[in-house]
Amino acid sequence: MRFTGIGIDKFLRVAGVLIILGLIVEIISLLRVHPLMFALFAFVGVSLIGLGILVYLASLVFAAGTPQKVDSPR
Amino acid sequence: MFGPIGILIALIVLTIVLVAAFLVRPSVTSGTAGKILAFIALCALPALCIGAGMFTHMQRSEQTKFCISCHAMENYGKSLYVDDAKYLPAQHFQNHRVPPEEACYACHADYTIYGPLKDKLAGVTRIYTQYISKPPTHITIPGGFNNHQCLRCHGGARNFEANPVHEALMDSLTSNQMSCISSGCHDTVHSASEVNNLKMWRPVQ
Repeated sequence: MRFTGIGIDKFLRVAGVLIILGLIVEIISLLRVHPLMFALFAFVGVSLIGLGILVYLASLVFAAGTPQKVDSPR
Repeated sequence: MFGPIGILIALIVLTIVLVAAFLVRPSVTSGTAGKILAFIALCALPALCIGAGMFTHMQRSEQTKFCISCHAMENYGKSLYVDDAKYLPAQHFQNHRVPPEEACYACHADYTIYGPLKDKLAGVTRIYTQYISKPPTHITIPGGFNNHQCLRCHGGARNFEANPVHEALMDSLTSNQMSCISSGCHDTVHSASEVNNLKMWRPVQ
């Protein structure tokens, strides 16, 4: 199956945003020793990072094509 | 100063920087080296951050201050400072029979998020009870207190086994048929509802 309209760069952007958000949540959760911080990490952080990883892995299988290099050699 | 938490935060920041590089320049993945780097930045490192984060949170959840940070557990935390040798948790905490910074975990290691998967899920429901639902006024341990938590340390100890009462009841204690905190034995535990009326021990700073 191929998502012809969706290029790998779009997949990577979505995966990147999800992973960065999840990692920011993880940093926030490490600031205090509290059950809510554990819940924040376990439910929000892990979900965002995990989803980001899945989107990246999906890009390897389903993405339409590899992105062109922006800066071509002279 | 730069302990395990510092290393974990450094790893997270490194991952964020690498992931951000792919956000800005996704075309980097067109080469073989770029594909390998993308796999490291978008799969391997985030997975490592999840694993290390989970490990860190599990370690932190063993701390006394983690357990007593819930309002419902406040009096249980206070009960560790009762100035009366009859109070079993206070006696263990004040005399360092358990590590004071992990006092709750030392005696409740099979309970909530520390035990098997079933107990971990039960621990998560307690977070729900604390913050979304309403905590019960009288808190009980489902299934009662397991003697194994006492016998982990006391089992095999000379002064425990030489005690004639323990000797006579040993089979009932090891099989958990009779609780160590039964009436007439070591029955004064947290007594959380009375703790505000009791004399407290103040540790020397």
